[in-house]
Amino acid sequence: MEKNFDCGQAMAEAERCLLCHDAPCSKGCPALTNPGEFIRKLRLRNVAGAIRTVKENNILGGACGALCPTARLCEKECAATGIDRPIRIGKIQRFLVEHSWKIGFKPFAGGRFELPRPVKGKVAVIGAGPAGLACAAELAKNGCQVTVFEERAEPGGVLRYGVPGFRLSAEFLKKELEDIKALGVTFRCSQGIKGPDGAEKLLKKGFQAVFIGIGLWAPVRPPFGGKEGANVIASVRFLELYRGKPAQLRKLCGGKPVAVIGGGSVAVDCARTALRLGAEDVYLVYRRSFAQMPAEELERIEALNEGIHFLPLNQPTGYARDARGNLTGVKLVRTRLSGKDSSGRRKPSDVKGSDWVLDAGACIEAIGNKPEERSLSLGRLISADPGTGRTSKAGIFAGGDIVRGPATVVQAVADGKAAARAIMKQLAK
Amino acid sequence: MLKKVDLSIEFCGVVFSNPFMLSSSPVSNCAEMIARAFDAGWGGVAYKTLVTDRIPIIHPSPRMHGCSYEGKRLVGLQNVEQTTDRGLKPNLRDIAYLKKHYPKHVVMTSIMGFSNQEWADLAKAATDAGSDMLELNFSCPHMAVEGSGAKVGQANDLVRKFTETARRVTKLPLVAKLTPNVADMNEPALAARAGGADGISAINTVAGLSEVDLDNFIPKPDVFGKGAISGYSGPAIKPIGLRFIAQLAKNRELGLPLSGIGGIETWVDALEYILLGASTVQVTTGVIHYGYRIVEDMIEGLSDYMAQRRITRVADLVGKAVKNVHETSEFDVRRQGIARYDLDRCVGCGQCYIVCRDAGGSALKWDGKKRRPVLTEDKCLSCMVCSFVCPVSGLITFKEMPKNWKRRKTPTLG
Repeated sequence: MEKNFDCGQAMAEAERCLLCHDAPCSKGCPALTNPGEFIRKLRLRNVAGAIRTVKENNILGGACGALCPTARLCEKECAATGIDRPIRIGKIQRFLVEHSWKIGFKPFAGGRFELPRPVKGKVAVIGAGPAGLACAAELAKNGCQVTVFEERAEPGGVLRYGVPGFRLSAEFLKKELEDIKALGVTFRCSQGIKGPDGAEKLLKKGFQAVFIGIGLWAPVRPPFGGKEGANVIASVRFLELYRGKPAQLRKLCGGKPVAVIGGGSVAVDCARTALRLGAEDVYLVYRRSFAQMPAEELERIEALNEGIHFLPLNQPTGYARDARGNLTGVKLVRTRLSGKDSSGRRKPSDVKGSDWVLDAGACIEAIGNKPEERSLSLGRLISADPGTGRTSKAGIFAGGDIVRGPATVVQAVADGKAAARAIMKQLAK
Repeated sequence: MLKKVDLSIEFCGVVFSNPFMLSSSPVSNCAEMIARAFDAGWGGVAYKTLVTDRIPIIHPSPRMHGCSYEGKRLVGLQNVEQTTDRGLKPNLRDIAYLKKHYPKHVVMTSIMGFSNQEWADLAKAATDAGSDMLELNFSCPHMAVEGSGAKVGQANDLVRKFTETARRVTKLPLVAKLTPNVADMNEPALAARAGGADGISAINTVAGLSEVDLDNFIPKPDVFGKGAISGYSGPAIKPIGLRFIAQLAKNRELGLPLSGIGGIETWVDALEYILLGASTVQVTTGVIHYGYRIVEDMIEGLSDYMAQRRITRVADLVGKAVKNVHETSEFDVRRQGIARYDLDRCVGCGQCYIVCRDAGGSALKWDGKKRRPVLTEDKCLSCMVCSFVCPVSGLITFKEMPKNWKRRKTPTLG
């Protein structure tokens, strides 16, 4: 992971903070993080209090500090921008969480922490990703008995299987998960809940409420299709393998030119991962312009500096393969931007006769994820009330990407917390 | 959920919900402001010094000057503000209002007479208004009224006389607020005690002159072409405040409870005052910098400190460090040490080399190839100035040397 602030640097950054009245940064976070408060606390040497402010609000405060697109959330609102540059809020937040591990300060165990009068109730959470973890932690903090069912071998969801280790290390994730386990949450890993009535079955088994946060784990394929395998791999499998079996990927990418299709954060992650796996050259192919890429500016610049070749204004049209079916390249056509589309962005259109083939020994498709066919939602998004996560079925709540489609970790945390509050309301009745 | 820690403390027989008070100053100017401070968590207030209506008080304009050091704002604050400029009646009504609506918060009313009779009148009026205790302001360093403020605090017989006067008209605890602009605070403190004071507040502002304008030669604050020596406060004066509190705490003959003042912004500052003998602490410049909200962090910080160490009463912390304050003649100079360098973390700036050469024992050589300092151990004076300028915290630490270790003598030229 990128090196973060040490104590002195965090304090120096906190001293740059203007400690605004009505802090605008504290209005920019979907999960209602209050940087105005935790930075003030740090500045006034109330370090334990600052850690509490972060972790009480967001049990995944460390991961969010490391992964959040802060430039378009809290830091975008920062008043210090009017003087020179925004306060590095994400880095201060991550520092506070890492510092709590370093000094052994546990905001939810021993010391001054005590469980409130327990809300009686057993709740099941399906999926140990950000939404599920946030929901489980919020419930457990209030005394509920929570069991998290996770299909994969270890908890974390996208934090483990969708983000490469150089952005969030296994060790970091382990520590943040320990904070959740310390709340008394039970994890049942390798125990997926399947079938359209999977959640109802849990209700019948004695859980009074169920939260579904299963995320999006099926790849969206490009329209020209072709089969995965044969040196073509979807980002979701690529990143999952990078956590589990990187050797396999080293074989796929090592020494070869590798193409990555897509312009989002996941595409950039895949490109940077391919480089780390020993790819000879990595090309990021995107049909719109560099400025239009949804990936964060900082990530794009880091990728550029690492040596990723950006090929914006190029539309993939198919794969080139040799007689044995092995990938030899990605067929591209150059695009130009014309009038605005429905999203308000200028639309790319093909430049006639500009077809060309990019040599590539492997290709990673990173154009999006969708719900899995074999999941409980049968390949569809789940519809749920945005403020409470309530679904049409009594006692069943849902949140995170499986409700809103692809979104950020912090948004999933916000959903998990909102659903937990609604669940507690239901249990109190 | 967070367990509350009991931070209550008794000071001169009055129980405070926590040791954090506003000091007598602009931050305790009126009931509307103080009520908000109480809501924010402050345990008590030293209500801004009352005077009689005989001599109207008009504050100079502008009345303060903030001192920055490099990038850091408000390291010090110079002010020429006087006592309250409000009438006596409105202030007394405000005090009565506060006691009615905040019966559990402590109102210590600060008073300053310009004659013996005025001290009596004010002490009585403040008592009748419902104050919990009185603070006798013997210490404002820049009063425009002849023979008042710190002028009184520097004259022990007056301290005693005016304390006696107040003592005669009220049964409330009396706290004498003393000036640091004296050679030895023990004398006025003992005078206050002899006059019947129940406690001492210290320090008031240090007489100072913070900045001179280089173009028009007028010291700040520039009051229409005139500057003045006046009260300097804030983090810059904390060591001076700690010194006086420690000296008063060590004075067995005095034996009075103390309220510590001077440069307090955080719970750490407050705790240092408490450890050196203060039962309560008072804050102004910290509030001028950050607002009343800083008390939230004082409460949370001190609560965590106590919970972590299983300390149940603030009183158990009061004066804990006093026994470790010694005369310099008591140091064991047979034990010596040197600076130790963790060069793996060195960034190669060479500041240590410069200060050791020019202000220390010239014990460092500079390896220009590696860009690292090289220490000659037996030349190190253990002054530790290198560690004060080193930008990497904790890189340079102090280590004790064995008994038979000897430092080389400073070479003589000629």
